[in-house]
This record gives sequence, C-alpha cells and structure tokens, in this order.
Amino acid sequence: MTLLQPVGLLSFMALSAVLFSLGLYGALSRKSAVMVLMSLELMANAININLVAISRFSAPAELTGQIFAVFSMVVSAAEIGLGLALVIALYRQRKTVEIDSMQELKG
Amino acid sequence: MGYVAAIALLPAIAFAILVPMSNRVRNKAVPVSVAAVVISLALSLLAFAQVWPGGHGGEAVYHASVTFATLGSVDLGVGVLLDPISAVMLVVVTLVGTAVQVYSLGYMHRDARIGWYYAVLSLFTAAMLMLVLSDNFLQLYMAWEVMGLCSYLLIGFWHEQVAPRKASLKAFLTTRVGDVGFALGLAVMYKTAGSFDFQVVLHDFAWAPAAATTVSLLLLFGAMGKSAQVPLHVWLPDAMAGPTPASALIHAATMVAAGVFLVARALPIFEVSGVALTVTMIVGVTTALVGGLLAAVQHDIKKVLAYSTISQLGYMFVALGAGGLVAGMYHLVTHAFFKSLLFLGAGVIIHAAHTQDMREMGGLAKKMPVTTVTFTIGSLALAGVFPFSGFWSKDEILTILWHEGHYVVFALALAAAFVTAVYVARLWFRVFTGPTQSAELKEAHVEMLIPMGVLAAISAFIGFGSPYFAQFLGHEGEWPAAAIALTSMSVAGIGLALGWWVYGRRTKVINTRPFKQRAGFVYDALTLKLYFDLTYDYFIVRGYGRLAEMLSGFDRVVVDGIVNGAGAVWRSGTEVGSLIDTYVIDGAVNGTASLIKAAGAKVRRIETGHIQAYQGLMVAALVLLMLWFVVKGA
Amino acid sequence: MSETVSGVVFLAFAFATIGGAVMMLATRNVVHAAFWLLEVMLATAGLYLLLSAEFLALVQVLVYAGSVAVLVLFTIMLTLRRREDAIRPYEPGWAAAILATLFGAAVLFAVERFASQLPPGTMPASVPDLALFGQTLFTAWAVPFEIASLVLLVALVGAVWWSGGDGS
Repeated sequence: MTLLQPVGLLSFMALSAVLFSLGLYGALSRKSAVMVLMSLELMANAININLVAISRFSAPAELTGQIFAVFSMVVSAAEIGLGLALVIALYRQRKTVEIDSMQELKG
Repeated sequence: MGYVAAIALLPAIAFAILVPMSNRVRNKAVPVSVAAVVISLALSLLAFAQVWPGGHGGEAVYHASVTFATLGSVDLGVGVLLDPISAVMLVVVTLVGTAVQVYSLGYMHRDARIGWYYAVLSLFTAAMLMLVLSDNFLQLYMAWEVMGLCSYLLIGFWHEQVAPRKASLKAFLTTRVGDVGFALGLAVMYKTAGSFDFQVVLHDFAWAPAAATTVSLLLLFGAMGKSAQVPLHVWLPDAMAGPTPASALIHAATMVAAGVFLVARALPIFEVSGVALTVTMIVGVTTALVGGLLAAVQHDIKKVLAYSTISQLGYMFVALGAGGLVAGMYHLVTHAFFKSLLFLGAGVIIHAAHTQDMREMGGLAKKMPVTTVTFTIGSLALAGVFPFSGFWSKDEILTILWHEGHYVVFALALAAAFVTAVYVARLWFRVFTGPTQSAELKEAHVEMLIPMGVLAAISAFIGFGSPYFAQFLGHEGEWPAAAIALTSMSVAGIGLALGWWVYGRRTKVINTRPFKQRAGFVYDALTLKLYFDLTYDYFIVRGYGRLAEMLSGFDRVVVDGIVNGAGAVWRSGTEVGSLIDTYVIDGAVNGTASLIKAAGAKVRRIETGHIQAYQGLMVAALVLLMLWFVVKGA
Repeated sequence: MSETVSGVVFLAFAFATIGGAVMMLATRNVVHAAFWLLEVMLATAGLYLLLSAEFLALVQVLVYAGSVAVLVLFTIMLTLRRREDAIRPYEPGWAAAILATLFGAAVLFAVERFASQLPPGTMPASVPDLALFGQTLFTAWAVPFEIASLVLLVALVGAVWWSGGDGS
C-alpha cells in the first residue's frame, strides 16, 4: 500500500508549492483588498510549511527553519495588521475596498 | 533594611486599590494614595539617614533581588539597590510627590475624575521609585515604560478636549522614538556583556571602546527622548496641556529627569567611550541654549516653564558629558525642587487669573503675598542667584567645565545662564508687577500653599549643603571658587537687569514690540519654535504624501515622457529621412514609425495603476527566470 | 530508529489544507472565505505537529487561527455597509489562473529536478524539544528576536495611526 508508506520531504514541498500557487492566484485575481490580504496569508503559510519541513528533514537539532518560521510569522502578522489598517483607511476615504479604486500612480 | 522595597511598593498598592473601584467611590478614596506616598516619604528619609554617614564612598548599602526568569545562563531579576544616588533620588521623588499630591487636593478638588487622577499619580510614583531602586537595566527599562504610559494618561487627562488628546499622542510617539534607541541599546548590551546587571555591566565587564560607544549612544538616544533633548524635545511644551500639578511632578521634576538618571547610572560605559561623552555634552549645550531662547518668547506661563525645563535638563547633560556625575545629579536635585515649586506657583496663578497668557496677567504681588514670595524664591533659584539652590548646582557645572578645559562649552553654558536670567525676569515682572487686570484675584487654599512653602524653604537653603552632597556621592566636596561664582553671578545679574529694563520699567500694559521691532527675523524664528515642529510636520508627517506625489510625477513625466518621446523622436527622424528617400522606402519608414508609436502606446499601458497588473508582471518574470535557472542549472 | 510520517495522516492534512484553500477562493462570500482561511490555518498547525514542531503549531493556532482570523472578520464587518455586500461577484481571473499554474508548475518542475539532492525520505531521529527551542531563540537569536519585536511595535503604531485618529 503506497498510502501507508512514509512521506518524504518531496511531498511536503509539493504541498507547499500547490498552496503557494493557490495563494498567488487569489492575490492576482481578487478585486477585494481583504481577499487579496487573505491570499497573501496563504502564501506566507505555504512558505512556513516549507521552512519547517526542510529543517525537520535536514538538520532538526539546529532548529534554524523553525526559528525562521517564527520570524516569518512575526512579519506576516505585522503585514496583515498594517494591511487591514490600510483597508480601513481606504474604506474611510473612498467608502469601498475595491483594490482597483487605488489608482493614483497610474501612468 | 528590607523596608526599602516597601517604598516603591506602597504607591503601587495604592494604585491597585484605587483602580478597580467605581468612579464615585474612587473619588472619595483619594486619601489612600496620599497616605501611601506620605509613608513612602517617611521610609525614604529613614533610608537616606541610614546611608548618610559618609555616604559609604558611593558604594551600595543594601542590595536584594529576586530572579523571575532565566535565559540560558542569564538571570533576569527584579532587585532593590540602595546606594547614595538612589537614596537621594528616593527623597527627591517622594518629597516632590507628596507635595504635588497634597497640593492637588486643593487644585483638583472639583474635578469629576479626581480618583483616577490620583490612581495614575500613584502608579507613576511607584514606577519612578522602582526605576530609581532598580539594580539592572531591564528593570529600569520596564519602570521607564510604565512612566511613559502614566505620562500619556496624565497629559491626556482632560481627553474631552482636542489639545490634550493630540498632545498626549505626540508625547507618546516622540518618546517612543527615543525608546527604540534604548531597547536596541539593551539588546546590544545583552549580546556583548551577556547581562543587564549594574554590577556586571558597569564594573566587572571589560568594554571594548567600539561596543561601549554603540551601547552608550543608543542609551543616550533613549535618554534624549525621555528628557526632551533637542531634537526630541517637541513633546514637552505640548505636554503642558495636562493638569498643572501633574506637569510639576512628571514634566518638570522627576520623569524627565529619568533620562539624566539613566545617563548617570550608565556613566562608566560612557567614560570607556570618549565619543559618547562628547556627544552628550554637545546635545546638552545645544538643548540648554535652544530651550532658553525659546522660553524667552513664549506668552503662555506654563510653556515658558516647559522650555526652561528643557534648557535645565540640557544643563544636566552638559555636566554628565563633562564627566561630572556629582554636578549633574546635584543640578537634578535642586532643579526638581525649584521647578516643581515654580509649576505649583504657576498653577495657583492660573487658577486666580483664569488665563495662562502672561499678557493678561499683572500686579499679582499686591493680592497674593504668599504665592509671590515662594514664586520669587523659585525664580531666583532658577536664575542662579546666590544663595538660592540653582546658583550652587549651576556653579558646580561651570566649575567642572572650566577644570576639564571645555572652554567653548563653558562660554555657551554661561550664555544659556544669561538667557535664563532674562526670561526669568520677563516672567516675573509681567506676572507680578504692573497694573492688575483681573478683579477677583485671591490667595489659594492652604493645602496648596503649604507644599509650596516647604519646597520654597528647601530651594532657598539646600545650596549650603553642596560640599556634603559631593562627599555623600563619594567625591571630594569643595565650596565654590570665588572667580567662577562671581562670573556666573554677574552674568545672572546682568540678565535680570536686562529683563527688567525691557519688561519691568514700564507701568502700563507691556507688549513685545521692542524686541519684535529690533530683531524681527530672530523673533519670528523663535516664536515658530525654531521651526522644529514645522520641519517634522513638513518632512515626516507630510513627507510620505509628498514622496508618493513625486513618484507619481516621475511616472507621468519621465516614464511617459520616455515612451512618448521615443515615438516622437523616431517619427521626426523618419520625417527627415522621408524628405530624402520619399519615393524609395517611404512606406517602410512610415510603417516602422507608426509601429513604434503603437508600441509606445502599448508600453504606456503597462503603467495601469492596477497593483495586480504589476504583481502579475513580476510573477511572469519570476517564472521565466526560474525556468531558465532550472534548465541551465541542471 | 528514524521517525516517519504516516502517508494517510499526511494525505488527510494535505487534503484539508489544499481543499480549504480551494474553497476559500471558490466561495463568493467573503465571510465564508475567512472561515475557510481559518480552516487552512488549523490544518497547517496539524502539519507542524507531524513535523514535530509543537511550539509552532501552538503559535499557528494562537496567531493565525486566533488573531488574524478575528482581525480579518472585524475588517470585513467594518467595511460592509449592507449584509449583501459580503457576496462578491464571480471573478474567474483567467490570466491570473494561467500565471499561477505556470508558476506552480515551474516550482514543481524545479523541485522534481533537484529531488536527488534532497535529504532522504526518513526524518533524522533526534527530536528537538521545546526547551532547546526556547534556549536557541533567546541566546543565538536574541538580537533578531528583539528586532522582530520592534517590527511588531512599529506595525502596531502604524496600524493605530492609519486606522484610528480623528479621521483627519
């Protein structure tokens, strides 16, 4: 039974790649700023899985991957906080959260 | 001597008792807070008396600590360290704290949230005492942040109005800028010395000069935020939007002095790095001059005192920068007493005159004798007139500058002393002489006058103890040398005389015309606070918007220009060519030109302003790059 | 004995994460999407447990499933004027889909290409414990840790400044 066989690093990396691509699709296609931010969180999550998995399979005693994942969480927590604050600021000014309403830098 | 810990704990307990109460009950429970601070004062005096004989050469008398966490091999603790410096600070903080709390009974008695006011005052006192008693930098930092919170709460105490709300936010954010420096300094200290303990960091650890410079400059930055040194001084004048007694305690006497205390504690690290000492001195002397000059043009009595505080804190930094621990600490002590006295006096004056604008005051001397006498003592101490306390401490600072050979700084410090005398005279003559402008002036309640009397007595007589003070901190104590004393006295005298000549001679309502007319440009610069606030607003607050506009302009002018321009250049080039080769390759050339033009129009559409379009392009490029990398890399 | 991850458990969690992500992008209701995001985060915590990163699993639940999801829900609440606004129009985003597929394919291709250089399928036996994690974080990584705390502080102040204030 292949299903019961142990899972290698490759599977985790593939999972992470698929999750990242899904997040990328969301970030590129959604018009709601909140949805874009949620998709960004998906991408950050995929990267964290990768970090932890590689650390676990190569050098678990050094914990580098886990610690990087902690810092990555810090940064993405800061990012989502600021991003949502920005959405609220945008909503106050324009009464909308459509990302296309931010076009001040159009050429 | 286990009771020392109780000095800091009692106000904290008072806070804990007051906070959970309902507003109505809390307003009646104010005596709890006053009682706590009075007992703290008594215990502080006892501790001071036990440290007093000989001061033990600056060594610690009592030390106890509890470990609350262990990181690797480093213990983090909360401790109590009683040495001469902390003993002096204990007395100063509890004495001024008691004076302010008693005074506030009269000043705030009609306020609907007096209970909350007292709770925050108690928390503040506890934090300041904890800071003074701490035996490691981490504990000091924790207390430091609690004080920042209390300062925020008290500046914004009347948060129904806009100005206090904005001022509290400004104070919080500005001091936060400094605190970032402090926190980074602690991180570097932990990395290099592997400890926060005073004993280890200051005495046992052998600092490399480079590391010492990094740590001490970062700590200095933190101290500059808290002690309102240029260029982080902008919050302190606005902080005057809080209740006046709170300003007296926090924004004049104690909290702003915490930065000075931090530098004084960390002075051994500063001394390893000579650079940090020089920077401290430069910052201090700049602040002393800027603060003094700005104080000379304010009309709001509290703002004059606020800028004066900034200037005097600069003086303390100068002393520390010259290596004069005793001089700096001594000025801190004397300043705490006379400046809190001046603020309390200003509170009485504002209460009586119903205004903060000095132009609308005048003639108070006749109606309010007690306030006049005490305020005069405070003013003379601030101006540095013998025998009042400010004279002695200023003299020690000038002496140490002279002996260490900092002659330029000495001259600048004298200039600052001169300006101080001028604005003191301006303040005094405007408020107390001239015609009376308010009919209902009357003296304040007795619970407001007693603390002022006590502070005035201390300000008047503490100076005679100055040599003993130096001995107490473990240094040689001397009486002032006649030459420097005479110099500083005559500078102060000339300053006061000038202030009288400009502001005191006339008996009718005084305006600022003479100075304004004679030096219009300088006056404008000073009334706009030497452009500090404007600069911050222009570059930092509005800078982001400006940057974005610039980038958008860049897009419009340069990017579009290049794209459109390329088409235009190409087309004009082909037009020249078409004149020559009209018949041969006309079609081809025109075709190319229009192709380029069309391409330009297409390329221009890349700059859509849609974030996601940019993002998509980025990803597409990344995909190509990755494929190339994989194909080639294998 | 070296440790292994059972294929069934892994597949279950992989299905939960990817399925959740697909549902999050497929649903037209923003509130539902937020809940699907929450589900993805919880499944990821399970994956961390498989990788013997217990601390990270807890942090994941606390930070993502706890705070971030609540934050997102609050933002949705504050930026909706009517209940019906939660339902978004259908946005297939074909170009984005193609691009994301290309990207995913490229990554998978790259991973497959270098698979021979990856560590073997079995995990090393040594399981780092939480105490070691804490010790490493607060000794070797103490300065980055402090800097991270500053980043959070700045983000906090920035978020307050942007979203709060007097609206001026």
